[in-house]
Amino acid sequence: MGHRAEPVGRRIVSPSARARVALSHEFAFGTYEDGLKMVGYRSEPRVAATAVSGARIQMFAATVRDPNPGYWDVEFAAETWGGLIAPPAMLMGWLIPPPWEPTGRPSARSIAIRIPLPGTSLVNASNEAEFFDPIREGDRLTVVEEVVSISPEKTTRLGAGHFVETLETYHRGDGSLVATNQNTLFRFTPAERA
Amino acid sequence: MTATGLDWTAVAVPSTLPDVVDDPISYERVIMNPGSTWDYFPGHYDPEYAREHGQPTIFVNTMHVAGFVDRVATQWAGPYGRVVRRKLILAASIYAGDTITARRSITAKRRDGDRWLIEMHVDVVNQNGEVCCPADVTLDVSKAVRTTRR
Repeated sequence: MGHRAEPVGRRIVSPSARARVALSHEFAFGTYEDGLKMVGYRSEPRVAATAVSGARIQMFAATVRDPNPGYWDVEFAAETWGGLIAPPAMLMGWLIPPPWEPTGRPSARSIAIRIPLPGTSLVNASNEAEFFDPIREGDRLTVVEEVVSISPEKTTRLGAGHFVETLETYHRGDGSLVATNQNTLFRFTPAERA
Repeated sequence: MTATGLDWTAVAVPSTLPDVVDDPISYERVIMNPGSTWDYFPGHYDPEYAREHGQPTIFVNTMHVAGFVDRVATQWAGPYGRVVRRKLILAASIYAGDTITARRSITAKRRDGDRWLIEMHVDVVNQNGEVCCPADVTLDVSKAVRTTRR
């Protein structure tokens, strides 16, 4: 590539500015009315990019300082649970695609950010998960996502936006139900800083 | 691994359990989470992005808070217990530099078919005493109870 048309005196774009650009491409934008059209939408099943792995289980357990032998001790886990088990809290993570993929295809993103709405930021508000058969190392999960509700505009200390409620249902490869996850996040426009 | 079962009859309801004080939430720990869950939302690794979105710095994600709640629940129940339901409200963010504590109480115990279930309430509190995340957890302790009765 040749000449960069940076205005004189303007600082070079920071890594975080690049991250912002990338992120803004991942959000779908629209009006509240546009968003409401997606209420009741149920996605096609989406398969995890990779299987549940011991390395990711142990990295997570290290993050939250969890010594549970079901996550660390292969022998104990095999005898007790039929294999290393995934911390229940990792559920949503198994369906997040890797940050880069060799195929270059656009990564499937969570349905919550694909809903067209105003608002350039989000924060999670509440979550209720139920777990059936334990998720084990080697399982490859499939998720079906549904848009349950989108609130009218509300203003919080973070800014004005909408609460988006979704329901995810997770199965493993053999078709058995492993978990359901109800999540509510706040999609908002950050308030101007004082 | 030493077997640690659970004596069902000895579980007092309601009862308060000892607090669990977590290690400080270092920047390293905040970004370890994307390393395991692949949740590379910039608010979890980029302080500049976080500040531009009204946050003082990067903050832990929902999976981290849930993981801490599950940890303090199963540390009480022992390695034969497991979380089968968890409801949490993200009332306030937990930032790099914070230190969180779990305040735990047993609120109920019940039989459900052949399962032994415990209900635990957990408040995740930061160093300012602010409840960042109230959570309710259902623990299936059937294996732990059977281990004790064997």
